Amino acid sequence: MLRAFHPLLKLALCLAWIVASLAIFDLSFQIAVFAGATLLLALGARVPLRHLLLLMVPFALFGFGFLTTSLLFRAESGFAVQMAQEQGGAPDVAPGLVLFFRVLACGMTSAMFALTTDPGQFVRALMQHLRLPASVGFALMQAMHMVPDLRAEMLQLRMARAIRLGRPLRRVPAPGEVIALAIPLLAYAIRRASRAALSFEARGLGSHAERSYLPQARAGWADWAGLTLGLAVLAAALAIGRGPAG
Amino acid sequence: MPDALSYDRVSLRHDAASVDAVGPISFNLRVGERVLLMGASGVGKSTLLHAATGLFPQSIPGDRRGAISLHGCPVESRTPADWADTCGYLFQDAGQTLAGFAVRDEIAFGPENLGVAAARLPEIVAKAMRRAGVPQTWADRRINMLSGGERQCVALAALLAQAAAITLADEPAASLAPEAARRMTARLLAPGRTAIVVEHKPGPILDHVDRCIALGRDGRVMVEGAPRDVMRRHGPMLAEAGIALPLATRLHAALPDLIDPRLPLREALIGVAPKARHRLQDALLPAPIRTGEVLATLDGAACAPPFGPVVLRDVSLTLHAGEVVAILGANGAGKSTLAACLAGLLPPRAGRRTGPAGAVAFQNPEAHFSRDSVRAELECTATAPDGVAQILNRWSLDRVADQHPFTLSQGQKRRLALALLAESDRWPLLILDEPTAGLDGASEAALAQRIRALAGEGRGIAVITHDMDFALSVAERAVLLHGGTVQFDGACRALMRDPARLAAAGLLPPEAAPVLDWLETAGC
Repeated sequence: MLRAFHPLLKLALCLAWIVASLAIFDLSFQIAVFAGATLLLALGARVPLRHLLLLMVPFALFGFGFLTTSLLFRAESGFAVQMAQEQGGAPDVAPGLVLFFRVLACGMTSAMFALTTDPGQFVRALMQHLRLPASVGFALMQAMHMVPDLRAEMLQLRMARAIRLGRPLRRVPAPGEVIALAIPLLAYAIRRASRAALSFEARGLGSHAERSYLPQARAGWADWAGLTLGLAVLAAALAIGRGPAG
Repeated sequence: MPDALSYDRVSLRHDAASVDAVGPISFNLRVGERVLLMGASGVGKSTLLHAATGLFPQSIPGDRRGAISLHGCPVESRTPADWADTCGYLFQDAGQTLAGFAVRDEIAFGPENLGVAAARLPEIVAKAMRRAGVPQTWADRRINMLSGGERQCVALAALLAQAAAITLADEPAASLAPEAARRMTARLLAPGRTAIVVEHKPGPILDHVDRCIALGRDGRVMVEGAPRDVMRRHGPMLAEAGIALPLATRLHAALPDLIDPRLPLREALIGVAPKARHRLQDALLPAPIRTGEVLATLDGAACAPPFGPVVLRDVSLTLHAGEVVAILGANGAGKSTLAACLAGLLPPRAGRRTGPAGAVAFQNPEAHFSRDSVRAELECTATAPDGVAQILNRWSLDRVADQHPFTLSQGQKRRLALALLAESDRWPLLILDEPTAGLDGASEAALAQRIRALAGEGRGIAVITHDMDFALSVAERAVLLHGGTVQFDGACRALMRDPARLAAAGLLPPEAAPVLDWLETAGC
């Protein structure tokens, strides 16, 4: 269901929830957004629990400082207190805890978009409906292609180094090795980008003809209904959150 | 009617170069004509193709003298992108030049750029996929999930969808397994198409082109004419210029009294007396080398790429000192993974490997370079005071000793990468991954000699290749990978005479197959 949702409408809905999460300094609201996004990923997109937990790690690390300060030392960082004051946070809730769950809520909402959206279709939708220039759109797609290719190139470079140093390939490269690989990888990326640019031009990108687009799936009634439902749930959550506080 | 493409006294020079890359050169491509452009590495064939639509010097910095016209219009009258409605390019490495995210996007890219009505695009895409032999079920597949050969087929479909009148193809089949290469050639060079194809291996496409143009080492037209006529009359001169010759031409050059170059190879062999069998065998097959002790063994091994799933199961192989083994298989069969396992770089996921560590000369030789000059690279290898000079001389790298390794030609890069591994006695086992990719005829012949010389010194060598004739010329033994396991392990010559087994693995018999059949009949 989530994967079939039109990418631009899904983006709009996710942005609305992220903006709400950034604007409202309320612990229960942040927990609700975080739990909702996680449940949607687990049940709607069938992302395995292990992957979900791994996904949370970088977001949790980001917010961990606030959490430890708040829970372990029963104190608050100056930044957290200032945020709470500026956003009208309730004095009875630890501001660090709210910030921790805010990071998780925003992270999982953006993960929901990223994990359930075909990047190619998304970029095509941006070019077709939001007038993203084709040169930028195809450069973005090329960059997405380059990530796995860079990984393969790095593996080959690491194997070549392992041969020369007479040792087996390590699972994780040492810091010195990473530094030594940076320049060859950069050179590879530049060469590859140059070849791709030449190929794009040879195949007519940037010609004077007005570009057409392969027809993409249009937003149907189910997409609009999904957007409306998502916004209605957000409005309801805001209304409920405002009730007891007021 | 004006010519499709015309070069008139064209000379091309790259920025910062002191001499022209190619030219002065004049030739025309007529409408409906298919031309094969041949020449040694570095004589400017690709640059010449890039200049056809003005990519050189508009996008690739350089200087052009002389005039180029397309259908009678000067090339500079439009931008390179605008010429896409007239000229379609097929590049050597499709993996690095594909634009779309999915197969359908990729094929639609050209027509979209030309502003073809959106409603027609799905039909154009479907038709191009059919013509290129790309299954319709691939339409939504991501490009980066395709193998190298599959990407090249998608690139062909994209070219067909672009529907340009002229095709310019730069070694389009270089990275393809033989069967896929044959399909590519048949579609790209179908009668009636207007095309220039650059190819280092002219043999398989000679019957699909109307004219050959051979460039000399000075970047000028050396010979041009009907393909078979050019090969028959100018074989020695072409070989001298570093151009790979078809097998019949090579055999005629080596055995002029036995092989009539005017006849197809199978017919030419009919009149050869059986007593000449040893001469023919010596000209075709490698001289035997006495094999030594076992160097490396894989026993029931499950091989997987780094951090990837198992692609080969139950592999049991033994490599001896002095032995050259060809590792064969279609694109994506797991040849490179087997190489890394055999060398001990990747431990097998199941089963076991025994023997000292080996070295792999990767398909991309640049992976081996880490210093800023050829000399500096070799200084790590040489032990004697004048060792570097000797190595430079032995591998014909003395003229480029102070150049950065990345600025060398493909043949020079491959020689340097191999020298770095072969000149050290650290690795008794060497594995060469597609060593002939991008090499001209002279470089390939020199490489074959070096491989045999290294085996003669007692190294065990495995060669991964799609080139069946090269495999036959260097290896006594062949290992065929198909369906995730070893399908054949035995005499290279026997495998090459088994077209059914080769076809099942997506391969084709070598050009030399008629000679092998003849040798068998002659009792050799």
